[in-house]
Amino acid sequence: MIEHLLLGFSAFGDPMVWISLVFGALAGYLIGAIPGLGPSLGVALLIPFTYGLDPVVSIVGLVALYAAAEYGGAITAILINSPGTSAAVATAWDGYPLTQQGRAGEALMVSIVASGIGIFVSALFLLFTAVPLSELALSFGPGEYFALAFVGLSLVVGLAEGLVVKGAVAMGIGLALATVGLDTQTGVPRFAVSTELFEGLPLVPVLLGLYALSEVLFMVEEGAAAKVKSPPVGGFMSWNWKGFWPLNGVIMRSSVLGYVIGIIPGAGASIASFIAYAMAKRTSKNPELFGKGSVEGVAASEAANNAAVSGAMAPLLALGIPGSPTTAVMIGALMIQGIQPGPLLFSRNPEIPYTIFASLWIGVPIMVFIGLAGARGWAQVANIPRPAIAAIVSAICLVGAYSSEGTIFPVYVMTAFGILGYLLRKVQIPLAPVILALVLGEMMETNFRRALITSQGSLDIFYTSPVTVVLSLTAILAFVLPAIGFVRRRRRPEAAAGEVASR
Amino acid sequence: MSLNLLKTVRAKSAAVCMTITAALVAAPAAAETAWKPSGPVNVLMHTKPGGTADIFIRTLAQSLEPLIGQTIVVVNAPGAGGATQMARVAHAKPDGLTLGINTMSHFTSMLTNLKGTFSVDDFSWVASTQEDPIIYFARADSDIKTIGDLVAKAKANSGKINIGGFGPVGSMQHLGTSMLEKAAGIKLNWVGFDSTPDIMTALLGGHVDVGVSNLGPTAPFFESKRIIGLGVLGETRLEGLPDLPTFGEQGFEVDTSWVQVRGLFGPKDMPLELQQQIADAFHEAMKAKSYQDYARNTGVVDSWMGPKEYNAFVRKVSDMAVKQLQAAGLLQ
Repeated sequence: MIEHLLLGFSAFGDPMVWISLVFGALAGYLIGAIPGLGPSLGVALLIPFTYGLDPVVSIVGLVALYAAAEYGGAITAILINSPGTSAAVATAWDGYPLTQQGRAGEALMVSIVASGIGIFVSALFLLFTAVPLSELALSFGPGEYFALAFVGLSLVVGLAEGLVVKGAVAMGIGLALATVGLDTQTGVPRFAVSTELFEGLPLVPVLLGLYALSEVLFMVEEGAAAKVKSPPVGGFMSWNWKGFWPLNGVIMRSSVLGYVIGIIPGAGASIASFIAYAMAKRTSKNPELFGKGSVEGVAASEAANNAAVSGAMAPLLALGIPGSPTTAVMIGALMIQGIQPGPLLFSRNPEIPYTIFASLWIGVPIMVFIGLAGARGWAQVANIPRPAIAAIVSAICLVGAYSSEGTIFPVYVMTAFGILGYLLRKVQIPLAPVILALVLGEMMETNFRRALITSQGSLDIFYTSPVTVVLSLTAILAFVLPAIGFVRRRRRPEAAAGEVASR
Repeated sequence: MSLNLLKTVRAKSAAVCMTITAALVAAPAAAETAWKPSGPVNVLMHTKPGGTADIFIRTLAQSLEPLIGQTIVVVNAPGAGGATQMARVAHAKPDGLTLGINTMSHFTSMLTNLKGTFSVDDFSWVASTQEDPIIYFARADSDIKTIGDLVAKAKANSGKINIGGFGPVGSMQHLGTSMLEKAAGIKLNWVGFDSTPDIMTALLGGHVDVGVSNLGPTAPFFESKRIIGLGVLGETRLEGLPDLPTFGEQGFEVDTSWVQVRGLFGPKDMPLELQQQIADAFHEAMKAKSYQDYARNTGVVDSWMGPKEYNAFVRKVSDMAVKQLQAAGLLQ
């Protein structure tokens, strides 16, 4: 392994590899920061440029782009509440409140450093555990995927911020929206009034509408007065590195969690960041800050979604099975180069996996440097006058929605969800459970149906596998325990009233 | 089913791809420069970037661009079960500057969920470029080793053998499977997946008994001996997997024209002469080394049908799909 790793690092003797790394990282930042464009699109756009290049040079560029794009989504999530990808949604929950409090620079610094550590730690795990863990991930059948999605859905309880009934309503809305589209087993259209809805509600315009456009509507309502002045972001020396120290624990935990969830094909960066966020909230000393501007929340989400990049690489390299949509595109890129990812890759082309390991490590300082150097400029975004911000954000929403599919339909979806998001926020129904249920609803339903098909209709499949049982029990407890607490508080209305008043 | 025409078309295309020299004779050198588009050519895809069909056109663009002296712009218009792309192709000018890539699912969806929205007559079917027969496989340690084993096991446990493939009931792979069911008099349990990697994961994890796919994504699993092939739904064995017998060789007669096809289509009313020029240009570009390397690596078979042959093929396949869908009870 050591000699192979040296082989991986020796690839960096070629200046072309460095150029590819830096170019990939820069392009990744840009693509990640533009809502509507994501890492999978970025990798696909880069593929034509890699035809004439050496396989090692091209894979380094592609991996750098993937990792940087997965981070880039955090920039707009923090500054203007427009998470470009579903993986950055959890970052916006705390990142944007921090910007509103004038702490945009701090939020950006935490997000970039947490991302860097997330990649660094997970790449270390990748080196040692890619093959065995990928084999283990195969034991996940439809029943286990259903249970995993169920656990994800139970996070709604934590995200509902104590508003149990409103959280449940939000979850119901999300689950209902997830049923739109062609039935995955029979191909029958459900609630698909036009053919554009056959593949379900497009996620990017829904995200842009619910979060960003609804924010614009609030800005319009509040007028130009409520402007936050972001303190100038200083140089590297003036960073509050000491304030960063207490975050180490949460970043480490989130990195490992992100890596493990990333390995499971089909789970991916967004579920990793949701679960890491909820874990961080549960273990935090200041859980009340979550959702209102907690640096821990930003760190957890960003460490996990970047660690999931390495996680998704594991089944790709070890088995030839992509763990995320982006690695699926990467398989295509490797195959054009005549390299077949899969069980034989480590023996036949060891330079490829080991260069990827090396490039993840070498890429981290470069990524963090570019990110921190840019943070100064990006943080200025928060100082732009409100009316201008509202105009810019609406423009980004429109362009982002249009470019996600290259048609006008997503723009209508985005606008409709902008209005829906505004109304929901007006009646204090939290948005996070809507998105969570929308993302997980399809995974839950598809795998529930698939599980019942493979078991010929027998429900045994949901309690005969230990993994399914443990996951399902976790989810049920997460739902039931707070519900019991809620009912108890109802019995003592005066106590509940007191609690609400203090909120 | 009268399939003589289809068989001749397929036999011809098979003969052509066997010898490149024959192909060179079939496409005279003059065709190389006949198509001179007046601007960049937009090729619309019905998928997101990175799919098998998407990689095909992006690779082919490398050798096609110098031939026609214009850029190929790949436009991804996913969504709506293909309708987004088809609408944009249907409403384009028939000047050859807007084309689309089609697969077998275009034909089946025009009969099912896009019925009434689009029909075969709304488009010009310009050329076929690739054929990708589907194969059936099982885990290396499975007791199912041939199609005969599968049939015997399915007869003993009716409806309890899980078969994982791409798409819901009524998809291209499901219809191929229902042809086998009919030929062998068995009933299999279809489990639809959204992507081939998901099928491989479920098969290797033992969650389904048999898998269906094109050769490309499965090749590394064959090479590392984690899966074994049961049979090819095709006329002949695959170049990339010469040991795997066809269904017919194993005594199960199913219609072998049911292969995955990737072709080129455009808005209706494109002049036939223009269609022929475009077909020749695409076929010429397919002979380039860069394209041939890619095609051999991914295990696809070159297909050389021009506008007349492809048009006939599309209508035949569409009729066949109607019969298959009716037999499966998905169409009245």
